Amino acid sequence: MEKAESKNRFLVEMRQVTKAYASRKKLFSRSSQQVLALNSIDLGIEHGEIFGLVGQSGSGKTTTGRLLVKLESPTAGEIFFDQTPISQLKGSRLKAYRSRVQMIFQDPYQSLNPHLSIAETVMEPLIVQKAGTPDTRMEKVIHTLETVGLLPGKAFFNRYPHQLSGGQRQRVAIARAIVLEPQFIVADEPTSMLDATIAIQLFKLLGQIKETFGMTLLFITHNLAAARYMCDRIAVIHDGHIVEVNTADNIIRHPEHPYTKKLIKVQPGFKYTR
Amino acid sequence: MQNKYFVSRFYKSWRIFIENPLGKTGVIILGVFMIMAVASFFVPLINPMYDPMTGIDPDIKLSTGPGLTHWLGTDNVGRDILAQLLEGAKVAFVVGLSAAFFSIVIGTLIGMIAGYSGGLVDAFLMRIADIIMVLPSLVILLILASLFGQFNIWIIVFIIAILRWPAVSRVIRSQTLSLKHRPFIEASRVAGASHVRIVLRHIMPNVLPLAFLYMTFRVTSAILVEAALSFLGFGDPSQVSWGMMLQWVWKSGHMFQAPYWLIPPGLCISLLTLAFYMLGRAMDEVLDPRLRKEGRSG
Amino acid sequence: MSLLSVDHLSIGYQTKKGLLRAVDNISFDLEQGQSLGFVGESGCGKTTIGMALMGLLPENAVILNGHIRFQGEDLISLTETQWQAVRGAKIAMIFQAAMNALNPVMPVGEQIKEAIITHQPDISKTHLADRMTELFDLVDIPARRMKDYPHEYSGGMKQRAVIAMALACDPALIIADEPTTALDVIVQDQILREIKQVQETTRTGLVFISHDIAVVASVCEQICVMYAGQIVETGTRKEVFKSPRHPYTRTLLNSYLSLDNLNDIRVPDMKESPDQMVETNECRFANSCPACSSACSGRFPDWIDVSATHKVFCCNPDMIRRGRGKS
Repeated sequence: MEKAESKNRFLVEMRQVTKAYASRKKLFSRSSQQVLALNSIDLGIEHGEIFGLVGQSGSGKTTTGRLLVKLESPTAGEIFFDQTPISQLKGSRLKAYRSRVQMIFQDPYQSLNPHLSIAETVMEPLIVQKAGTPDTRMEKVIHTLETVGLLPGKAFFNRYPHQLSGGQRQRVAIARAIVLEPQFIVADEPTSMLDATIAIQLFKLLGQIKETFGMTLLFITHNLAAARYMCDRIAVIHDGHIVEVNTADNIIRHPEHPYTKKLIKVQPGFKYTR
Repeated sequence: MQNKYFVSRFYKSWRIFIENPLGKTGVIILGVFMIMAVASFFVPLINPMYDPMTGIDPDIKLSTGPGLTHWLGTDNVGRDILAQLLEGAKVAFVVGLSAAFFSIVIGTLIGMIAGYSGGLVDAFLMRIADIIMVLPSLVILLILASLFGQFNIWIIVFIIAILRWPAVSRVIRSQTLSLKHRPFIEASRVAGASHVRIVLRHIMPNVLPLAFLYMTFRVTSAILVEAALSFLGFGDPSQVSWGMMLQWVWKSGHMFQAPYWLIPPGLCISLLTLAFYMLGRAMDEVLDPRLRKEGRSG
Repeated sequence: MSLLSVDHLSIGYQTKKGLLRAVDNISFDLEQGQSLGFVGESGCGKTTIGMALMGLLPENAVILNGHIRFQGEDLISLTETQWQAVRGAKIAMIFQAAMNALNPVMPVGEQIKEAIITHQPDISKTHLADRMTELFDLVDIPARRMKDYPHEYSGGMKQRAVIAMALACDPALIIADEPTTALDVIVQDQILREIKQVQETTRTGLVFISHDIAVVASVCEQICVMYAGQIVETGTRKEVFKSPRHPYTRTLLNSYLSLDNLNDIRVPDMKESPDQMVETNECRFANSCPACSSACSGRFPDWIDVSATHKVFCCNPDMIRRGRGKS
């Protein structure tokens, strides 16, 4: 990990980011109530690390991920990617940003278009970013499918999502995310819909991919144990606030915030038997 | 590359469809009418006397009942009723399918654009749809007809299409809305895909089956509107159709004298619209997996 | 006599491709006041068992053979009308989606009242009121919230209301199918304590179904591990989790991430799940089994007793009895 200067330390930085959603309280009242999904959060993700964002549903963890890939825009505050503020990005510069930042979604049954073959799905980012020629794209897709453990890659080319298992679909989703070799990937609960034995294999795969490509990863999860297994550093988010950031080991061993302590206490485990 | 998937899916859907009693009946009735429509091209070739419009049997001066030369009888100027019935089937298909097709194309496009863009564009397009939807289409057609005289058949098709797209666009819009935030669309956005690409590549294939379903219902209403117009005397006078036949029965005062002339076109209108309706209902079942009895849980 | 006794039960689903054997030759017993946990991954047949115990199997399901005896009565032969007297009154169910189990336009208290009245039509007003207070007390919902509507409840409270509803008629058996899967860990922890405590105080039989082994471990005394429609290992909680013998149980435990076992994590090499369309006497786990060797080939799995309560379904008795496989 390069920590040359504190200025360059972060690949991604969120400064005072707030995200509010309007929710109308009553049917006939005009005044719209605002719900703060994120309340002025500061967050820095270092080059080449796996950063865990742990929180329960409604804590704002998914919103954070969506802001980073620019599926949504913050109400206030600024997000920097490689020192560049991303709120101003438009047109070709936004498109270039999109090739550097990718996302893996939670539900592998919803994240693949049922009408597109695996090859078409994985190739789409290459086509829209006009990367390579049709021939090299083919090669790239096969290579990427094999990288994510779909062997042999050619065998999956003309298959459709409904012909794959949940684990295989999520591998396809990972292939789509890494085919452009982005610098930064947001993985939003990538295994919460999958069986434990499948999930653990995907964790291993994500770790390998991060090593091979030198990517930076934001790993969003509700599972503290999974975050500890995967991540270098972990932030705990609760009600739109980051309550604690620390290295993965320290946050489990020496939690400071009462919420973190509570979260650790209720993690299911084998304390009843072991 | 999409073909293989569509073929297998189509085959699967077809199986569900044809196993459904409604679907089966609909397809059989439709098949009969298709044969009739095709036959209408050949009948005048046998003998010019069997031309539905101009073929007058020189031996007949009055409307006569069924016989050997005219299986279903003739009208009051000696034209063959069966030949007219066959010609009517062809016209019903042409009017029904083309009016339905145009209204579906307009409705799908507007629905996808409204649903995907949201905001002002959505509000504007949907208000127009609302306005058209509450217009009584038959009354509008009658007013137009009385202003401009009798219509050419294609103008009728065009007007039906214009009046009947809003319901389709409403359905397609809500489908688009539910698709818009699906992760696979968002994944495409994150990859940098343009709006046009997202609509054509990701949304359209997912709404087309629904559009197709609505087309069968539109066919029904188009056939009925055309028949009603013709019967009321606003149809295309140079074109035989079932509605026109009914109009002739009535005008020539044979309403209660010649059941052999009155019943066939009326029956045909009912049966063909029924067939399309049954087709639509069966297709509904194909498209809505919740209606299918299949399930497995872990 | 056992409260519940399931004997060589096989259930299949009629699919377009043929008969899928979702539950294959399963036997277990449950005594009054005991808790039995079924754990396994998606498609292993655990939900099907729950559905069969409630008489709620989907239309395309067929019971191929076996018996389910509840308090000595054969449940399989019951008609739908007879089921209605059993369901809710003697056997109650807690579903995964608590939000869907409650009627949104009716106060929660009313719904529970209705559940009681359905099965005890001649209950007196005072008894009913007493019973209601008792139930709300049991699941820790303040009695003043009885008049509230489901949308005014939090997720955890809804799930507790569903538990109260299940307990309404003092059932002899409760079936809980993934009751906490949709909940946050903090709420999950509360609900699991609630279920455990309620089960212990009311001495109700409990069949608990979950994909999460730690959750099952925290609630149940008896454990059945399922794979591809079969029970592969059964025993007390201590036996199964402290000295797992079946390679699949080990795989499950080794790939489960919890804060206290991160050092024992081993990434398994799970192959495609076996084809449950075919009837076979061979080991279904052989393809993915880390301990499968030439010693297995040609042998059929059979029940191997490790102790009086601890049984393992495997074709390698030596390995199972030794207690250490290659895994």
